[in-house]
Amino acid sequence: MKTKLLILFFAFSISLYAGVKKYGKKISLKEKTKISTIIENPEKYDGKRILIEGKIVDVCETRGCWIKIAGEKDFQSIKFKVEDGVIIFPLDSKGKKILAEGVFSVTKLTKEELIESAKEIAKENNEQFDSTKITSGKTVIKILGEGAEIK
Amino acid sequence: MKKFPFRKWNNILHRDIGYLIFGLTIVYGISGIAVNHIQDWNPNYSKEEEIFSISPITQIATTDEILKESLHKLNIAETPTNYFRPDSFTIQIFFDEKEYSIDLPTGNVFLEQTHERKVLYEMNQLHLNSPKGIWTFIADLYAGCLIFIAITGLFVLKGKTGITGRGAYLTIIGVLIPIIYWIYYLYF
Repeated sequence: MKTKLLILFFAFSISLYAGVKKYGKKISLKEKTKISTIIENPEKYDGKRILIEGKIVDVCETRGCWIKIAGEKDFQSIKFKVEDGVIIFPLDSKGKKILAEGVFSVTKLTKEELIESAKEIAKENNEQFDSTKITSGKTVIKILGEGAEIK
Repeated sequence: MKKFPFRKWNNILHRDIGYLIFGLTIVYGISGIAVNHIQDWNPNYSKEEEIFSISPITQIATTDEILKESLHKLNIAETPTNYFRPDSFTIQIFFDEKEYSIDLPTGNVFLEQTHERKVLYEMNQLHLNSPKGIWTFIADLYAGCLIFIAITGLFVLKGKTGITGRGAYLTIIGVLIPIIYWIYYLYF
């Protein structure tokens, strides 16, 4: 009987572990904000703590220090950036569902700042970078990630 | 009063704790080398990339139809874990450890497969303390043991090869290496 209970306990623990993988701080918010709602009016959420749900569509290849999360609509995704080494997102998490919490940020970048930032990202991903493709400044939105749960 | 046999106990503890942390040192050492070169390679995953073509997918209105048509042209019966259209010309289709990115107007397909590097992945997870929880305590204890081993190592031998002889020079060199490098890094 004891052995059976132990087996059940371990099976249950493994199933819990296999179901959801937690990263960083515990998720504290209950109410989710839709990615499409944020993208429609980013200024409204600037500096606010938000909880989003979506699917992971891209992962930082070298350090796992950011992911892109897409919501329910095509063409829309938000970068979820975490502190290097604090959270490391696995490369094979693409396509998986995620619940992610952090502070939303809106940054207006000049053309020069944007080139510098894109150069850094290209270097991070070992990609070629062509600065002539950037012709003007841009508003960059991202979530400074603190905690996440990947299913 | 009998003198406390310091060297005897120093050597016993140095030896036994050394045995105890052998496994962890191998894990941290191998993972340390792997993670040190993170700019040059991914220490956790191996990646295979392939580019091929299918016939273009045009004149289809909805994403669901595009997905269905893409899977048909790729000859895949398996249900994807997810999909996404980053722009109007592209669809990404995700499976476990596999992603197809299709340029719809040309039919060019970029297939990327990622696989965990067996053993090394687990070593890196432990080294970088991904599990957190009790592993934090074990890793701290290990770090403490390493410091203990370093200190007791100074007193294992006496005489010419001990800390009062050659050992002193080698220890000073070892201490100077990070200091000199840091000065060089800051000012040169």
